[in-house]
Amino acid sequence: MSEVKRKQTKEITVTIDGKSITTEYGKTILEVARENDIYIPTMCYLTKVEPIASCRMCVVDVEGVDGMILSCQEKAVDGAVINTNTKELEAERQNIMKLYDVNHPLECGVCDKSGECDLQNKTLEFNVSQQNFTAKDMYRPVQNWGFISYDPSLCIMCEKCVRVCNEIVGSEQLQVSTGGYKSTIINTKPENNCISCGECMAVCPVGALVSSDFKYTSNAWELNKIPSSCALCSAGCQMYYEVKPESIDNPTEKIFRVTNEYEFTSMCGAGRFGFDYANTTAFKDRAKFERAVEAFKKADTITFSSSITNEEALMLTHIAKAIDAKLSCPEAYGFSKFLKAYSSVSGKSLWGGDLATLAKSDAIISLATRVKDDAPMVKNHIAMAVKREKAQVVYMHPIEDSHIQNLVTKFVKYEAGSEEGVVALLLELLTRDKELPTELKSFIDELDIGNLSGESSISEEELDEIVATFWKKRRFSLIVGEDIYNHPEVENIAKMLAAIEKYTNYNVVVTPPASNSLGVALICDLEPEATGYTVGYNCEADFNLSSLGDGDLDMPALNQQEGSIVTINKQLVPLNVALGYDGYILNDIANELGVGRKYTIDFTSELPKDKGFKGIEFDSLANNFSKYGEDIRGYKLEVINVESKIELNDVEDLPSFDGIVVYNVDSAQNPNPFTQKSKLTKTEPKLLGSKQFAMAAKVKDGDLVEFELNGKKVRRVFSIDTSLKGTIALNPTSDMGLSAFAVSSYRFSQININKVGGANE
Amino acid sequence: MSLDNLKNRNVGVQNYKMLDLGHTPETGWGKFKQVLKRSVKLELFVGLKVTMREMFKALFMGEMHTVKYPFEKLPISPRYRAIHEMKRLLESGHYRCIGCGLCEKICISNCIKMDTRYDENQRKEVSDYTINFGRCIFCGYCAEVCPELAIVHGGRYETASEQRASYSNFEDMLTPMDQLVNQKEYPGFGAPTPVADKNIKKTPLAY
Ligand code: SF4
Ligand code: SF4
Ligand code: SF4
Ligand code: SF4
Ligand code: SF4
Ligand code: FES
Repeated sequence: MSEVKRKQTKEITVTIDGKSITTEYGKTILEVARENDIYIPTMCYLTKVEPIASCRMCVVDVEGVDGMILSCQEKAVDGAVINTNTKELEAERQNIMKLYDVNHPLECGVCDKSGECDLQNKTLEFNVSQQNFTAKDMYRPVQNWGFISYDPSLCIMCEKCVRVCNEIVGSEQLQVSTGGYKSTIINTKPENNCISCGECMAVCPVGALVSSDFKYTSNAWELNKIPSSCALCSAGCQMYYEVKPESIDNPTEKIFRVTNEYEFTSMCGAGRFGFDYANTTAFKDRAKFERAVEAFKKADTITFSSSITNEEALMLTHIAKAIDAKLSCPEAYGFSKFLKAYSSVSGKSLWGGDLATLAKSDAIISLATRVKDDAPMVKNHIAMAVKREKAQVVYMHPIEDSHIQNLVTKFVKYEAGSEEGVVALLLELLTRDKELPTELKSFIDELDIGNLSGESSISEEELDEIVATFWKKRRFSLIVGEDIYNHPEVENIAKMLAAIEKYTNYNVVVTPPASNSLGVALICDLEPEATGYTVGYNCEADFNLSSLGDGDLDMPALNQQEGSIVTINKQLVPLNVALGYDGYILNDIANELGVGRKYTIDFTSELPKDKGFKGIEFDSLANNFSKYGEDIRGYKLEVINVESKIELNDVEDLPSFDGIVVYNVDSAQNPNPFTQKSKLTKTEPKLLGSKQFAMAAKVKDGDLVEFELNGKKVRRVFSIDTSLKGTIALNPTSDMGLSAFAVSSYRFSQININKVGGANE
Repeated sequence: MSLDNLKNRNVGVQNYKMLDLGHTPETGWGKFKQVLKRSVKLELFVGLKVTMREMFKALFMGEMHTVKYPFEKLPISPRYRAIHEMKRLLESGHYRCIGCGLCEKICISNCIKMDTRYDENQRKEVSDYTINFGRCIFCGYCAEVCPELAIVHGGRYETASEQRASYSNFEDMLTPMDQLVNQKEYPGFGAPTPVADKNIKKTPLAY
């Protein structure tokens, strides 16, 4: 296939509006025009999806071709002479606008979209000042879909929402119900698959889809857009915080909503709706600050979460050196071990794949992650690959996820705890006909495939089926998930995965467990455990600095400070200040201890170059997309070559989990204690299990249960989730506050469950 | 013009005429006689006659010619732009403002602030609205831009206050409910033209 493609990539010359343009074959007329600053009006065109072609606004004239051509769909061909602006085209476009305006409610005055509405703009642009046509009006009530509300009478049926839900999010939630002026969008299964990601709302060109929370609270132009990056997970999506004073009586700024460059990029529901986690009550309490400095001075260990910026991570290493303490990060330690072991085999400081290569793959293995919850953006890119590249997806996990059934070709279930065996089986499978160095060859030859497949309960037939599924595929991706980092054998697993990347044509995408785990893993030398007197930054310790606002000293949340994080794309992206913060910051403490700088962002250019950072100053970091949709935010980390040698341990007996098992996982909308603090995304924590689990654990729906996890007693209401199967229950940790960041155990654990309250108590 | 010309102004020939005022007494006796004569003839009251007549008319016959400011004020031109008023719908009494925010946006001294919310009837509700009259320059843009004829300039022109910043709240500007029947349409800035009715085009209806 790539062969054929290459042949077609030839240079062509087209003339648009008298301007001669040389470009390469494969682009649509609209793309060529836009790249050359020639304006063609569109209504349904959305850069990030395949052409929708529902509006006909983009019509152009191609000399020698009868009729008008849809420029968003038609490829430019060599020698074509194209006119974008004739009288007929203008008339055609004006007619289209007139039709769009028929019966459109005259409610711009109250509509949330007013001021940034495509329909409003184009109506003025095409000078439609009166309605000459008519259609019977009808009652079309507003519908509420979770965080989003849909007003069918404002909908212009551009189908952008349907397209993103299918092609980008993969939820296949929305459908067009056609019928002339009766046409609407229908949400087919509102309570089931819709994950309230808000993608549909973001791309809606009119006020038909809006946030129910934001609705009517502010006019768009009153809001101040602050460009930043979402700091809730390692995808680090581009975003704008939109802020203005809370009300007439309260002049403090408040985040009213979050928007993004929806033409080119996406966000998940947590980022879009879980934005109000700022620590707003902090003030400069000198006594507390002095206590904090004292605490640092006597600390043996500084323990922290990886939801901090690179600058803070660097600051902590300086502080640790100054006070002679150790650094520990329970959240990222496993991951940093993984990364070191991985590099030791791959010879590269970072893994090879990223989300862009993932979306372009046609064969994908997702391993050891409940991907829709752990990494919504990874799931989105799987969806894009499935929809555009016809990718086959093998989903390997102990728990089936019915929500993404539509994306997964083959679900391969393995036993919880057997990841080492699973990766060994994959290594053997994927390197079968490859040239391998002798030490790897002999390692693979020594694997007891039969035994491994028995213990992990992946049959050899299933393995063969994976091969069959990927028959004739060429662009492979392997997604490595969070389950592995805290597995006791993480290093061996990492090395085997690195061998897969090195000796096969798989692009490996490693999902960091939290927003800046990658940055922390690169910048800090982490110790396995916190010992002695501990000071915690966003992590439970003897003395707590907390951005959640519940510690011994307040710290700013990630939307209240400048800094940078490193994303899953191995890219450093900047964070900006959305809301003010009145308390002390880590740099104040660092200054007190003699290792601070004037500003926190003075550390940005000091980030370690030997780890791939580029020494660029914070203020020179871009945070936008080019006008052609290229991501030019921050910079990509340099991949550093490191020494590589293959030293694998034999795969011993795999651990086994019997009886009742829980899996620590938070939902995509509420991934961590920050979103649990947010008004919209906070949820009541529930232990979710299947009917089968309920039977095995002898609990009923609604029971209050207690179990021990990580040495801590946890109390939860148990709830039956009919979409689950098997005897593994899902346990959220986002309600655990600072101690959620202190969890460093393997994600599956065997528990004893006690019922402490009945369903009706 | 040279200095000479300036100093040497030619005043020209003037047509002055002497009035026959009799002669001014020069001796003490002569002066005394003049005073005596004037007092006896009550010339003073001849001069005061008009004044006394008007005073009588004003006090007893209700023909006062001055305005007792600040107890009374003269009517002011409808186009005068003084302190704003917020109008209500005559039928329902509901305030007209829909919260479109155009006045807030257009205000060049940035002195209008408003809060809106999603109300129980799924409508946009203006929950608060204020104008800072310490900054308002009474330009009238807000009244002109308002699509609902909701905000208009009223006739209250006294804007002296104890503080530089003096605010008006929504309730202060709204027509009081008991005055609704007396609410006048505003003929000034932004008002529909007298021929507005004629210019309205009906949307074609197929049913
Ligand atoms: S969708 Fe656009 S055109 Fe329609 S009422 Fe809203 S702002 Fe006006
Ligand atoms: S919120 Fe997301 S999942 Fe739900 S309909 Fe919109 S795009 Fe689809
Ligand atoms: S809801 Fe919005 S995005 Fe969807 S079809 Fe209607 S106008 Fe287009
Ligand atoms: S009169 Fe002018 S300055 Fe005063 S509130 Fe209206 S727009 Fe603002
Ligand atoms: S312009 Fe008129 S309707 Fe709009 S917010 Fe101002 S007063 Fe209200
Ligand atoms: S942009 Fe081409 S049909 Fe809508």
